[in-house]
Amino acid sequence: MAEITLKLKKQPEFPLEADVISPDTFADKSLNEIKALELFFGNQKVKLGDYFEVKGKTGKVDQLKIVIDGDLSKVKRIGEKMTAGEIVINGNVGMHVGNQMKGGKITVNGNADDWAGAMLKGGELEITGDAGHYVGSAYRGFWKGMKDGVIKVKGKIGNEAMLWSRSSKGANKWPMLYCGGAGSFLGVHNHGGTIVVEGDVDRCTGADQAWGTIVINGKVSRKLPSYRKVGEVSEVELPNGEKIKGKFIEYSGDHSVKKETNGRLYIAA
Amino acid sequence: MVTRKIKTVYDVVCPFCGTLCDDLEVDIDLTKNEVIEVRNACQIGTAKFYSSNPSEHRFEKPLIRENGEHKEVSWEEAIDKAAEILANTTRPLLYGFSSTECEAQGKGVELAEILGGVLDNTASVCHGPTLLAEQDVGVPTSTLGEYKNRADLVIFWGSNPVHAHPRHLGRYSEFIRGYFRKDGRNDRFVAVIDPRTTHTAQIADLHIQVNPNEDYELFNAIRALLREVELDQEEVSGIPVSQIKELVEIIKNCNFGVIFFGMGLTQTLAHHRNIDAAISLTRELNDHTKFLITAMRGHYNVSGANTVFTWNTGYAYSIDFSRGYPRYNPGEYSAVPLLMRDEIDASLIVASDPASNFPAESVKNLFKHPLIVIEPHETPTSAFADVVLPPAIAGIECEGTAYRMDHVPLRLRKVKDAPDELLTDFEILERLIEKVKEKKGEE
Repeated sequence: MAEITLKLKKQPEFPLEADVISPDTFADKSLNEIKALELFFGNQKVKLGDYFEVKGKTGKVDQLKIVIDGDLSKVKRIGEKMTAGEIVINGNVGMHVGNQMKGGKITVNGNADDWAGAMLKGGELEITGDAGHYVGSAYRGFWKGMKDGVIKVKGKIGNEAMLWSRSSKGANKWPMLYCGGAGSFLGVHNHGGTIVVEGDVDRCTGADQAWGTIVINGKVSRKLPSYRKVGEVSEVELPNGEKIKGKFIEYSGDHSVKKETNGRLYIAA
Repeated sequence: MVTRKIKTVYDVVCPFCGTLCDDLEVDIDLTKNEVIEVRNACQIGTAKFYSSNPSEHRFEKPLIRENGEHKEVSWEEAIDKAAEILANTTRPLLYGFSSTECEAQGKGVELAEILGGVLDNTASVCHGPTLLAEQDVGVPTSTLGEYKNRADLVIFWGSNPVHAHPRHLGRYSEFIRGYFRKDGRNDRFVAVIDPRTTHTAQIADLHIQVNPNEDYELFNAIRALLREVELDQEEVSGIPVSQIKELVEIIKNCNFGVIFFGMGLTQTLAHHRNIDAAISLTRELNDHTKFLITAMRGHYNVSGANTVFTWNTGYAYSIDFSRGYPRYNPGEYSAVPLLMRDEIDASLIVASDPASNFPAESVKNLFKHPLIVIEPHETPTSAFADVVLPPAIAGIECEGTAYRMDHVPLRLRKVKDAPDELLTDFEILERLIEKVKEKKGEE
């Protein structure tokens, strides 16, 4: 597998928009061509080589691995719309990492800022630290958010994760989010997304959920009144066939959207 | 003998709040060029007209900061200095625009595009969440005249018009007689949903004292009850479910209902999700009766700012031009988060006073970088500005267009002349654009 290593030389004063850092753009380019790629810095354009040391060898898109070292909390849009290959980020990363990605894998060994994996269409995003708000959410005004793919966050995530996520039974697409804990409005306007939380979540989980599955292995600070208790279960089966063992109380909802609904919220008993 | 010439201007539109009252009468002393009487306006509107008279707070000449002191300079020098600052920026912020007229706002958009900067208006700390929710779920709304003539149920949710929009109650929503509401107040049922016993709540027929920050749960329960779903719990947001059921009956059985909501929903926890739920509830209520919803917009032309920005760029606020085309993302490109993260290198504030309203940390960062203000009065923001460009006050000293809270455009009037030499917001921005283009070497 071909590997390219980028190392941040200096902290940018303003956010750097680096949507070119993706296996799709790097594939089959020479190191000099990669160094000459344009990044957006405020209203200016800068060269990738001005901010990053570039080493390694390129190859075909699906066999390309990009490793980035340094504190990238001011570098946005890494891996935007990528379709294949792999990115490993060793450090914190800025907003919109892996947004609208279709395939491949991104690993962040650190924390991610807001909009990580927004409107994901496929592939896998793994974050070992915490993530900001709007993880895997739809962008403003979009009614179809995350459609497929998996996001795994070890730590906690912020508010309004998986906003407007859409599954498709016919196309066998099941957007999934695993996280260690979450803020308020987890899975708001959920249309078939699956969310599994290891720890506690804040208020209004599953607000306006039309259908979908949310499993919480911890506490919910305030359950919405429109969720009704169905019973207790000792195992939850997710749409992708995965089974989660443990004692859960099963709630149906959100009943403020539909009187009869197969939306489900499981909270650890 | 002193001869005093007085001119009275009728049907003046009040440039203060989003109600945009259009029946004011203003007396002007022509010898002194001063406002001496304002009739029909509320206290706040009256004060705004008096604020145009000469006072120690009113700027009459452009100022530049030198060695920590403001110094009076000529217009050429001030515009040149402002253009010099803006032309050399990487990430400038243009903010405000809600208390000026639409033509000037349009020029603001043009300047932001030339600079490749970030453009925002005061909606981002006010009814921005309303706009976000409207993009998510749409909005069933109407003009205020419909409510006046037809509404028999008026709900003020998280808004206090007695203080914030004093003439709203008398002109559109509570006391006024309408075509189908001949008996005025007696033909209307008024409900207030607010954690505080506001003065609006004191004159209402029903006050529901919801717990602070728990409006979303209440909306949620109402929507579920409306679908005849029984709730598992006895109490929601501090209100017994039996009382919520009574409210649902009242709402379902009205002929024409309206929700007026304010900052109590948009700027408490859950923000745009509160409005999302309020709009969804309004939409669902139309299965039972006629129901509409309207935001109680604050500044007189904040609706106009949203409208002008939208027809120019496609987005209502929080717009980033750094890549040459407009992009939109509140939270990333809106003024407060940008300042909190210290991501700007200069700012132009037009007709607004962020230093009094923004979080202290963001104001510190605002003052760290060069600051230009277009502002007629001394404010906490203009006191720390590097360049002050004082304009004629729109709606008092110059004409223009403003949009009422229900998006009805009204023509503002000029009732008196501006103090010597003062340009309008539009002219200042136009000259600034010319100068910036010159400095950037564009034609």
